[in-house]
Amino acid sequence: MNLQAIQILFLKDLFLSRWPLFGYLVGGLLSAMVACLPSETAGFIGFVMMITVTIAAGIHLIGVLLLAESIDMTRTFVMSLPVSLLDYSIAKISVVLVAFLIPWLGMLAGLTVLNFVVPEAKTGIVAFLVLVFLFMLAGFCLQLVTAVVTESVGWTIVVVVLGNVLLNLFLKTLNEHPVISELNKSEVLSWPPIVLQIMAVQAILIVASLAFAFFWQSRQRDLV
Amino acid sequence: MTTTMLTDTQPTTSAVSLRGISKMYKHFRLENVNLEIQPGTVNGLIGPNGAGKTTVMRIMMGLVAPDQGTVSVLEKPISSNEAEVKKSVGYFSDDIRLYKTESIAWHMQFVRSLFPSWDDVYASQLLDRFGLIPGQKIKGLSHGQRVKALLLLILARRPQLLILDEPTNGLDPVAKQEVHAELMQIVNDDTRTILYSSHNTQDVEQISDTITFIDRGRVIATNNRDDFLDSWRRFKLLIPQGWRKPEIKGLRVESTFGNLQVVTLDRFQVDVEEHLRSSGAMIEASETMTLEEIFLAVVARGREENR
Repeated sequence: MNLQAIQILFLKDLFLSRWPLFGYLVGGLLSAMVACLPSETAGFIGFVMMITVTIAAGIHLIGVLLLAESIDMTRTFVMSLPVSLLDYSIAKISVVLVAFLIPWLGMLAGLTVLNFVVPEAKTGIVAFLVLVFLFMLAGFCLQLVTAVVTESVGWTIVVVVLGNVLLNLFLKTLNEHPVISELNKSEVLSWPPIVLQIMAVQAILIVASLAFAFFWQSRQRDLV
Repeated sequence: MTTTMLTDTQPTTSAVSLRGISKMYKHFRLENVNLEIQPGTVNGLIGPNGAGKTTVMRIMMGLVAPDQGTVSVLEKPISSNEAEVKKSVGYFSDDIRLYKTESIAWHMQFVRSLFPSWDDVYASQLLDRFGLIPGQKIKGLSHGQRVKALLLLILARRPQLLILDEPTNGLDPVAKQEVHAELMQIVNDDTRTILYSSHNTQDVEQISDTITFIDRGRVIATNNRDDFLDSWRRFKLLIPQGWRKPEIKGLRVESTFGNLQVVTLDRFQVDVEEHLRSSGAMIEASETMTLEEIFLAVVARGREENR
């Protein structure tokens, strides 16, 4: 493993995605601000905007950083350089994940801070938001695995659509859950066992998806 | 002869060694390719479109894993030394695309960061010679400029081995000449090895010491260029009725028009003409063959044997 090569490839991809990344970060932070405005409508609009920004960022970054490299045949260029498949796989999966985490973390951190700072905000909602954001991160990781395995825009979009449908079901389930729906109205942040259990399942899904994506990518025999 | 057929057990000190390479695709297969390329030589790989030239080169670069066989590049197995080997190899292929939103200068900086051997002075000279503008984005380049930009990125790192897959494909005559001129300069450096593929025999003939013909996934002939040219002959014979072809190894009838017969021979010796005359044929013409004619004859013979 060549750490210097991995670092160069990682920074190259981060640079190539700088403009969409900046756009999603700004869009995400704006959405978080709108979501914390002292109005129910603004809160709803801000929340929907955040979900939209996160889904758009996920599919766009996977497209730009992962799928485009095989479709545009720039991967042959990269693989003709002194990098091994292992170096390439580590750099590629890390940079796609980090690129997504930048707006994702920006939004989640922004929301958390605003919920503690804005006097009208219910701080208890942070646990609900963490569950929603982890769901979107898990969805992104599944899209990433799909893109790595199939190298197909079509199949990746299918997973995005499925993820979107499941997100709506997940939101409905959370809102109907007696413990979690109470959290949203609470002034105090708490982490009941059901929340921790869901978070554990989400964490397992995220780690398993990333491990499989890396395993698959690093075992590819033909790169062109 | 600098390129030879090999067996699996022989040790290698060659720049590139392929032994028993096979690769199966749905509609194409590469079969038992054995090839050895000696350091400091220029080697041409000629084959029709779809013959397997690109697959062979991709296997050499570790971009495609063979189903069978071993690959050594610069005396190291590519499968376990991929990154190390590629430090000393420059690979050009028409399939390679650069990042279209970035400039030539950005690509130079990127490649430079991965190659300690990058030569800034030579890179500037190449920019000048190829008429490239560093700030120009890849998406604004013509096909010829894109080819030259990629060659610049390869050549400026001063690779020990150059693997060039149809580098002049689709270039206009001026661009082709510029690229060839640059390659000729590299050819003069005896320490560097070049493998150059093309379906155009003239391109390869100009610079190669050794030629390998490949067709339908098989290496069908490999020889020193001059030996190829010296050993092949075409005879136009006026033959009497009922004439029987004499038993001369490598003699093949290409066509017959009445009593005029065209035959080719792949191992010419001075006494062959005497043999032909003594068989009753009259030699109307004895001609040397161009590399392209030799290539076509080799392909025809190879396909006939495989039928």
